[in-house]
Amino acid sequence: MAAPMKSMGSSFNATSFQKKTRSKLISIPGTRPSVQNGQLIVSTGVTSLDYLIGGGLAVGTVLLIEEDRYNSYSHMVLKYFMAEGVLCGHELFLASAQDHPDDILMELPAPILDDIASHSPLEGRMQFAGPHASQDAMKIAWRYQNLPKVQTALASSSRFGHYYDVSKKMEPEIRQAANCHAFYLPEHSMESSAPRSPLLGSYSALLRSIQEVIRKGGFNGAAPPSKSRNVLRIGLQSLGSTLWGDDLCCRDNPAHGHALTTFLYGLRGLLRSSLSVAVLTIPSHLIQNRAVMGNITRLCDNAIALESFKGSDRETNPLYKDYHGLLHVRQVPRLNCLLTELPDHKDLAFKLKRKQFTIERLHLPPDLSETVSRVSRGELAGAAAMGTTCGSSGNKHLDF
Amino acid sequence: MLVELIQGTEGGGLIIIQDSINYSGRTLLMSFIKAALKRDEVVHLLAFELHEAELKHELDHSCLQRLTFHNAFHDPLGWNENPPFTVHQFITTELDSLLTPNQHSKPVTLVIDSFSFILRHLSPSAVCKTLQQLKKGGAVKTTLGLLHSDMHHRNMVGSICHLATSVLTVAPGHQCHEAVAKTIRRAKSGKISQAEERFSISDDMSVKVLSKPIQVGAGQGDAGDAEVDPTANLTFNLRLSDQERKAKEKLALPFVFSKEKKSALLHPGPGSGRILYEPDANDDYDQEDPDDDLDI
Amino acid sequence: MFAELNAILNTSPDHFKQEELILVSDRRADASFLVHHFLSFYLRAGCKVCFLGLAQSFSHYSAVSQRLGVSLTQAKEKGQLLFLEVLKESLDVLLQKTSNTESQALDFLRDPAVGLRGLYDFVRASVSDSGAGGEGDGGGGTVGRWGPPVLLVDDLTVLLSLGVSVGSVLDFSHYCFVTVCSQLKGNMVTLVRCEGEEDEDEDGDEEGSERLLKGLTHQCSLTLHVQGLPTGFCRDIHGQVEVCWRKTQKDKPLNQRKLFQYKVHDKGASFFARGTSSAVL
Repeated sequence: MAAPMKSMGSSFNATSFQKKTRSKLISIPGTRPSVQNGQLIVSTGVTSLDYLIGGGLAVGTVLLIEEDRYNSYSHMVLKYFMAEGVLCGHELFLASAQDHPDDILMELPAPILDDIASHSPLEGRMQFAGPHASQDAMKIAWRYQNLPKVQTALASSSRFGHYYDVSKKMEPEIRQAANCHAFYLPEHSMESSAPRSPLLGSYSALLRSIQEVIRKGGFNGAAPPSKSRNVLRIGLQSLGSTLWGDDLCCRDNPAHGHALTTFLYGLRGLLRSSLSVAVLTIPSHLIQNRAVMGNITRLCDNAIALESFKGSDRETNPLYKDYHGLLHVRQVPRLNCLLTELPDHKDLAFKLKRKQFTIERLHLPPDLSETVSRVSRGELAGAAAMGTTCGSSGNKHLDF
Repeated sequence: MLVELIQGTEGGGLIIIQDSINYSGRTLLMSFIKAALKRDEVVHLLAFELHEAELKHELDHSCLQRLTFHNAFHDPLGWNENPPFTVHQFITTELDSLLTPNQHSKPVTLVIDSFSFILRHLSPSAVCKTLQQLKKGGAVKTTLGLLHSDMHHRNMVGSICHLATSVLTVAPGHQCHEAVAKTIRRAKSGKISQAEERFSISDDMSVKVLSKPIQVGAGQGDAGDAEVDPTANLTFNLRLSDQERKAKEKLALPFVFSKEKKSALLHPGPGSGRILYEPDANDDYDQEDPDDDLDI
Repeated sequence: MFAELNAILNTSPDHFKQEELILVSDRRADASFLVHHFLSFYLRAGCKVCFLGLAQSFSHYSAVSQRLGVSLTQAKEKGQLLFLEVLKESLDVLLQKTSNTESQALDFLRDPAVGLRGLYDFVRASVSDSGAGGEGDGGGGTVGRWGPPVLLVDDLTVLLSLGVSVGSVLDFSHYCFVTVCSQLKGNMVTLVRCEGEEDEDEDGDEEGSERLLKGLTHQCSLTLHVQGLPTGFCRDIHGQVEVCWRKTQKDKPLNQRKLFQYKVHDKGASFFARGTSSAVL
């Protein structure tokens, strides 16, 4: 994020007092400075995801979501991201080649607006788990007594962002209050007034229109200071799919293999000098060439991958029965600092509760039955690790 | 075989030193140059990847004077003004004009550092044609070059090496001063000889072979890889020193029936015990296998 | 600048080896912290530094250098640092807003097939107009204010993402080496980032960072290869770095390798021998 850092440039650099600059930064609704490095961050709309990537998405960065096979969960995260923007009064930019962006916006999840009241007991229960436990003191070996309570749900101590009910749709009044720019590729491919860059292919229209929005909306540093500043949220759906005119997914050695990476490079350059933040999803499971995927990841700042259990043999594995899929953190941002906050846990899973999408630490379900012994649980984990059905048969007793 | 190649006793041809990122063959190349200069041969060095300062670092003054250095390092593609030699001049006619100024009847050695740079810019067939022309004779007796084999497609490396009379593949050895060279030599008669040698290069660029070459069967074709020695990286000792062997031979094994043992058994000494057993009728002795665990 | 790394490399801002091409590479880890090290190192050494920022914006490098105790803005004003912010300048070229002649350095963005000659011309102009002749060690009268020139590139792999071929990048680095290291007695540091596992058995034809890494390894004199731990993720040890001297030096044998583990801190990094992290001892 270049612009805000620059605006406060010398004062930030010269002293270690950050109070003053913080108060200056916090003036944009829906943003706050990061606890770790003072970076201006916004919420993704999924509280546990915010926690995972270091409090929130830093303004000026790109979050890459590798889609799950049926693009259901990744699409949901994208909608969360846009919905959060609507509630914070941010400007939105949504681009798609598949569904019309307006249709996607129609399906945004409804916010739980009185969530302060309804959620505080829940949160309180989590935080004050310690005292509660001491009341009905469980008999436990003394050496385990002082261990911190394991918290599976990922959440930070202070609230940031809103909660949403995915079973309901956002009311039209709230939605229409937001200033939204839509980019629907089929509409743009008709008009060929602007010269198409041979390198960018169909992405050149997209990049150009993002740049236009940023310039007109004054999201770049060049905006007059009188105007109140705002953040632009950019959502890009299924980049790299064939509908974008890309052959990354269909071939091993794509002819336009550099169109997407070049676009991402341009986007990165654009975002670094403006108050905007982007989330994009890519059907990575279709991209055969791993080197290309590596390049794509490196050109984004954050990268996570969703791996749904739907349609895989993990769906029936009792180890994973509490979850809907696994979440892999591919890359954490390294921006304006030497050190990056790594998540302290790498085994993460997500689940879609009745109303809410959350990310949790992956753990074995509690073993309540009396007959199940430790051995069979080990077998279970072994089978899960192999990820094949033959895993369990391989563990049978050997015949002599 | 490595030493013979460096001494040039085998008589000319195209020698290729294949290296990889694990071990650079450049020092070996320098040893070749120095040996050729010592033999009073005329050496031309066509350097794409080596600059003069580095050369000075490696070779002493007397050697440098007799070496003809063609600077293709500074401007191999002609991006600056007045390139001394560009990669596109790597054709027979240009090379001939480079090499003709010496009219002595001494044999000329042309050293190329490296083929990899040339192969990156010219088509393999053009390079092969030029190399074939050089090999055929004329002014040049020996052509010697470095090839970074891990940078090219296997087939391209293969077709260049196909032309060569000798191919040396260098790899790092087990100790840090050592290296291993695998040599494949093709004689005019069609005889193929192979050897794998450990060597080290001292500061004055002389090559010392550390172990006896292993002569792998001489025959047409069949240049199969040498067997990997499974005993190379054991955590325990498989071999015995002479002392250890003597000690081992001294040891009397318990089951060996020696003279002393025999006599001890035949003539029991006084006071030795003896077990007497007479089965009586009450002994519980049955033919069945009540536990069903015997294989009767 | 990390003092521990200087000790490992046996160098210091007052006394460092010239004519070196240093290759920084990584695999399943992030080696960019080493780029910050070399940037602050050479600025402290008083070298004229030309930085090609391909992966990040100027403010990022500036913010990190601040923590390492070097001000890039000041260095820029003094004329010690020349920073080409490709990330920012690329947009206009990509969208073909401008067709002015001064941005020839980024010609490869219009058509990657033309190669990187324009970028090289930019580098040559910026390192040689400093007046840092570099001949001798300050004895001549024509020597400028700054020491020998240094070229830093972060990172070359981005060029591959933009469609430039491996061969072109290798040619570019060859020419930069000739100009900066060989002619002007300066140094050069480049970063290459690789993806995933080493595929040794694959044919050597793949156009990608693997081949670029191999080609540059043949050119360079010192490699710093950063890798993730083979045993997996760890909070207290961020990875391992393998240092390899590829050119003969007076006291060191050829191809000497050393392996260290490292941990990046807020304002630096610590390096230690394998298994001697403070977290395990």
